[in-house]
Amino acid sequence: MRTTRRSLAAEQNRTAYLFLLPWLIGFFMLTAGPMLGSLYLSLTEYKLLTPPTWIGLDNYIRIFTDDSTFTGSLWLTFKYVFISVPLRLVFALLVAMALNRGIRALGIYRTVYYVPSLLGGSVAIAIVWRQIFAGDGVVNDFLGWFGITAPSWISHPDYIIYTIITLSVWQFGSAMVIFLAGLKQIPADLYEASQIDGAGKLRQFFRITLPMLSPVIFFNLIMSIINSFQAFTPAFVIGDGRGGPLDATMFYTLYLYLKGFSFFDMGYAAALAWIMLIIIGLFTAIVFATSRYWVFYGDEKGGK
Amino acid sequence: MKRKSTLTTALLALMLVLAACSGGTSSGGSGTSDNTNGNAGDNGDAGSGEQVELRVMWWGDQKRADRTNEVLQLFQEKYPNIKVMGEFAPGSGYFDKLNTQLASGTAPDVFFLGGNVVDYATKDVLLPLDPYVGEQLDLSDMDQAMIDYGTLGGELLHISAGANARGILINKTLFEEAGLPVPEDGWNWDDYARISQEVSEQLDGVYGTYDFTYEGMDIYLKQNGAKLYNLEDGTLGFEEADVLPWFQYWKSTAESGGVVPPELAVSNPPDDTSKSLVITGGVAMNLIPSNQLAAFQNLTEDELTLVQLPRGPKGTGVVFESSQGLSAYAETEHPEEAALLISFFINDPEAAKVLGNDRGVPVTSANRELLGEDADPVDEIVYDYTSRVSDAAKDEPFDVSYNPPGFAEFDKLARTTVQEIGFGRKSVEQAVSDFYSGTTQIFQSNQ
Repeated sequence: MRTTRRSLAAEQNRTAYLFLLPWLIGFFMLTAGPMLGSLYLSLTEYKLLTPPTWIGLDNYIRIFTDDSTFTGSLWLTFKYVFISVPLRLVFALLVAMALNRGIRALGIYRTVYYVPSLLGGSVAIAIVWRQIFAGDGVVNDFLGWFGITAPSWISHPDYIIYTIITLSVWQFGSAMVIFLAGLKQIPADLYEASQIDGAGKLRQFFRITLPMLSPVIFFNLIMSIINSFQAFTPAFVIGDGRGGPLDATMFYTLYLYLKGFSFFDMGYAAALAWIMLIIIGLFTAIVFATSRYWVFYGDEKGGK
Repeated sequence: MKRKSTLTTALLALMLVLAACSGGTSSGGSGTSDNTNGNAGDNGDAGSGEQVELRVMWWGDQKRADRTNEVLQLFQEKYPNIKVMGEFAPGSGYFDKLNTQLASGTAPDVFFLGGNVVDYATKDVLLPLDPYVGEQLDLSDMDQAMIDYGTLGGELLHISAGANARGILINKTLFEEAGLPVPEDGWNWDDYARISQEVSEQLDGVYGTYDFTYEGMDIYLKQNGAKLYNLEDGTLGFEEADVLPWFQYWKSTAESGGVVPPELAVSNPPDDTSKSLVITGGVAMNLIPSNQLAAFQNLTEDELTLVQLPRGPKGTGVVFESSQGLSAYAETEHPEEAALLISFFINDPEAAKVLGNDRGVPVTSANRELLGEDADPVDEIVYDYTSRVSDAAKDEPFDVSYNPPGFAEFDKLARTTVQEIGFGRKSVEQAVSDFYSGTTQIFQSNQ
């Protein structure tokens, strides 16, 4: 009896691994392998077209002690993440709540608002964005009606980052769709009950909607942080592709790309990539660590 | 359970993206390490009629692509056993693409390089063409100066595909509107600053000149007896004090109002023919390579012409030089056919007719004569200009400019420096000091 059960379990395991095999192969060949490769390269001087030579931690030392572009690009990326992520999430939540009022043709609205997320990462949209915010673009034409002479949003180093942030916020669609699904999960009787008890809309939002939605917020937050740290296309296309004007579009990923593929310093670029991995990992870990104080799962016993 | 899967998904997404960034490198390591010189002795199959496929890559706009593809078509008609695949990219992304392909061992058999040829020559990725000269590669009619230009470290690595001379583009129509005399050869930099200011004052919304602190830096250095890069001894050819006056000159010219403001120069870059203010009549003068005059003239009604650069202590500092050229990949499987294609590109009269002066004046005298026969008015201006430059060079000879190693990074640094001054982020002295120490550093790490 016992033996048959064990062999059955082994059989099931084998089947499971068989089904997992494509993923495992992909993981080891396409993810783990190259990652180890890049870890090795980050410890070498690798001029892209000549064989790498081992230099130990030199790349990392140079990055932290003697590279003002690194610090500049890191701050710029932080600024981008810390402004664009909250804005996008708030915006997504507001639109999701507006759409959740049982309006007609919800499907159409949902699609319309989701479309930017599908297009947002693309080069074409970044080019359109360039045109819209150019010195003689649509936005400035519009402001001109009110007698405002606005600067060229994409060519002044002080403003271009905000153009890129706007583009990022505009891609609120995927977060919105997830919020919308989350909102639909909240039982209507909670609202009814609280209404009978005399709770206002604001109170309902903070006491029911937000807590019930917290797992979804958690998910959206993590995904947004990870994606935003890796933003590349908007900076590459809206800027001049070299971080200009004045390094105002020198996002971390763009700097990494330039170092590796334009400046023939792939070892250095690999080291930059590992630093980014650690930074993103750190932020993800922080969000996870704090999550038990603010994420509420309906199925947890007791709750906090 | 749910939390865990979210974490896994998130981490995986992250890993995948980072892995994608570095994937090219690990495969590149093995691709470039082993054989960089395995081709010279491997000449078995030329002319045997065996079907061979070549890839060619260049940068530029659609018009250049059409012309180049037509030439490749002519080549295939002449050599039916060779099939040629053309690839092109806009100038801004071209070298990143080429670098990636070189690193992964998938570079095209023949590709174009510009002044940055030194960067590739020192990395052993270019095929020495000496064994093919006189065989597949006919250089009998090519100017010796151009052959010397492509000979780096004693090996022929680069065949110029066109020559040009930089000059000051003048919008004659704007000068007439402003009621100012059109500048002539023999002027100096004080004249240039004064005239720029006058144009800006006379015409509303028109500036005298673009800021070419960076683009004209090597010319300025040569006018003052220094140079950007010393190819022979592989050293930097200038001191900080050599360039400081040049940056100061542009700063004061900009303060007088004669220069396109930095913001406008960012949104309408001078080297982008589709956006340049030269096209829209927003600027009256700029430094351009002579082969670009036709591209600009095609897009504007205004009458354009070329004038020699303002003179410095040692002259104009301008020589007739290679604008760009062809190199073969060191690891190409078909070196002989690659040499054949390069030879066709510079010698074939039909090809010369199709290509015109798009990449500069032809490098063989036969083709120069051929194009001279049916030159249009713009070509006439260019020919007239380049012959004036050649004449001037007889009395005041200058060395040809090579870009220093690490050119892409130097380019970025120099442009940023100009913007730092333009947007008022740094004083000229501070910016130039940072620029010089940055240049030294780039140069050392790319030796």
